[in-house]
Amino acid sequence: MTTPEQSPSPTWPWIAMAVAGLVTFVAAMTVSADAVQGELSRIMYVHVPAAWLAYLAFGVTMFASAMYLWKKDLKWDRRALASAEIGVFFTGLLIGLGMIWGKPTWGVWWTWDARLTLTAIMFFVYLGYLALRRTTDDLRTRAKRSSIFGVLAIVQVPVVHFSVVWWRSLHQAPTLLRPEPPEMDTSMAVTLLIAVASFTVMYVAMMVKRIELARLEDAVVIADQTHSGAAAGDAVTAPNLSGRGM
Amino acid sequence: MNVGASYNSAMLETTPIADLDRIGVRVGATHILHEASMRIVAGETLGVFGANGAGKTTLLRLLATLIVPVGGMAHVLGADLATPERYDVRPRIGYVGHVPGLYAELTLAENLSFVANARGLDESEVERSLTAVGLAAAADRRAEVCSHGMQRRAEFARIIMTQPELLLLDEPHSALDADAVDLVDALVHQTVERGGAAVLVSHDRDRVAKLADECLEVLGGALR
Amino acid sequence: MRATFPGQVRSIVRRDFIRERRSGEVLWVTLPFGAIALLLVPLAVGPDGPTLQTIGLGMFWVIVMLFGVLIAIRQTNAETQPQRDVVSLTGIDPAAVYLGRALASFLLLLVFEVVLALVTVALYNIPLTGWGWMPLVMILVGAGLALLGTLAAGIVSTGRSSAALVPLLVAPLSVPLLISATQTFEALRLGRSILMWILMMIVVGLLVAIAGVLTARPLQESG
Repeated sequence: MTTPEQSPSPTWPWIAMAVAGLVTFVAAMTVSADAVQGELSRIMYVHVPAAWLAYLAFGVTMFASAMYLWKKDLKWDRRALASAEIGVFFTGLLIGLGMIWGKPTWGVWWTWDARLTLTAIMFFVYLGYLALRRTTDDLRTRAKRSSIFGVLAIVQVPVVHFSVVWWRSLHQAPTLLRPEPPEMDTSMAVTLLIAVASFTVMYVAMMVKRIELARLEDAVVIADQTHSGAAAGDAVTAPNLSGRGM
Repeated sequence: MNVGASYNSAMLETTPIADLDRIGVRVGATHILHEASMRIVAGETLGVFGANGAGKTTLLRLLATLIVPVGGMAHVLGADLATPERYDVRPRIGYVGHVPGLYAELTLAENLSFVANARGLDESEVERSLTAVGLAAAADRRAEVCSHGMQRRAEFARIIMTQPELLLLDEPHSALDADAVDLVDALVHQTVERGGAAVLVSHDRDRVAKLADECLEVLGGALR
Repeated sequence: MRATFPGQVRSIVRRDFIRERRSGEVLWVTLPFGAIALLLVPLAVGPDGPTLQTIGLGMFWVIVMLFGVLIAIRQTNAETQPQRDVVSLTGIDPAAVYLGRALASFLLLLVFEVVLALVTVALYNIPLTGWGWMPLVMILVGAGLALLGTLAAGIVSTGRSSAALVPLLVAPLSVPLLISATQTFEALRLGRSILMWILMMIVVGLLVAIAGVLTARPLQESG
């Protein structure tokens, strides 16, 4: 029986997350607001890094899933899970912030832009991935099935992407007026770069913590399944025929 | 590849049909079998006993190549169970579990036809084997309206049809009338006489002891 | 001794067809359910003729996607471990099981599509321009959906709440099929080329079929 080894829980990820969050916040609030969009443009400093993290996270999930199928080592499955969960979180954030920005800018909460549609589909694909993981407690079965789905999902992404882009191009351009991408001055570009870097640090820190949690979760599952003894047969003992009830 | 064809009388006593060397089986994180070893040679019948939940059925499913062991070495009909070789020997194994694996909506004959078609056997085998187990008159009855005992007989008909070299029976005598009990004994004898081997898991020690050359007990995940 | 690969596929198709004939799940449950969904839409959006004409074909494909999944997963969910054991021990190639199941579902899906298409034409008064392409699109969508649904059912089989989960896994991945099917007719209406939409459906079907064949063995076994 191999239980995951107990290593001391590192505190640096908490500090890293706090610092990265603070840096992003300060940078986004101190840079001068965009001339056209005003204060609303500050959403960009969370929106763009969130988009980057979503793609990064799902990419890592695919890579870790493929590695599990190759190496059959559960640590790759835990990495895939951790990254997928973080990816779903940031995709949700991305869509939510996009809507908040879209309503005052475009006048609608949602527009059927190809990239937006693709993001929404990705969100549901990985929600499905997380739901799939809940259907069994057998660690190996769960790892194999979710890894296969993790790889399959990403293989389909380019196809979904092209279908949505072509679908968009067949219809006429959106009726609402989209503002031109704002001219980005140097201070804004630097701020954006800082935000992207901070978010990447945050991703790494969250991964470390989530993988640690996954390891503990697996240990609980293993302990649950083995608490009755070394072998399954040990759980059944001779009936007690004396005393009450017999 | 057909090992069965190469048997001769001198080899009969020594050719291992199944050879487990300190294997383990885990379901989830639970050890069902641990450091279990056994060996069964051609012409031999083995009885396996043990308490409820001891791992008897798991042992049979392992021998049927349906479970991949962890650790140790496991060979069945010459195939290493840790490799895809196990797929190649499956048609030479006959397994009857304690829950029948018939499709409820299909008639008994259709259930057997499915196996016959998949195996490339002649359709006439279906009728012949159903007659052999005394179910010729019930051939066109759907499995869902057949009693447990009838379904078990239909499963034995599958064994007669496929002529396995390794016969694995889980609680073969349960839910059977006197005629069907004799049928089980005949199946075991026929398999052994063909140069195969049989493993019987049972709680009916007396009956199995009469059939078996050797008996094992599953205890604490090991075989004794 | 073992049957040839096509023989194995045929035995699976035959088994699934007899089971469907006896249970009537597709013909008597899923099909009427799909038809009633087509009836509910006009009740919800109002009986305005031009509106219904515009959305009719789209609704048809949406319902084929959502309800078609139920056809593709119907048997896998009901299969018990002893039944799976019998199938495994026949020595049938797991890839043949996968393709056989998908083929049976595909044929049932075709029936489903044809009947629902007739219902849609009648209820929504759809103009029949470009419907010469309908059989081809139905075949491609049916094949893609059957392959995808069978694969997803294989991935979640033996798990908890699998019947509810498969549609969630399949729906986002079937988006290219939905878009291709609807846009083929949109392109025909606008007089544009439909080649890329047809190719898209073929690519989806091929990708999923390859994935299904490659994963058939590992998915047959637990652990």
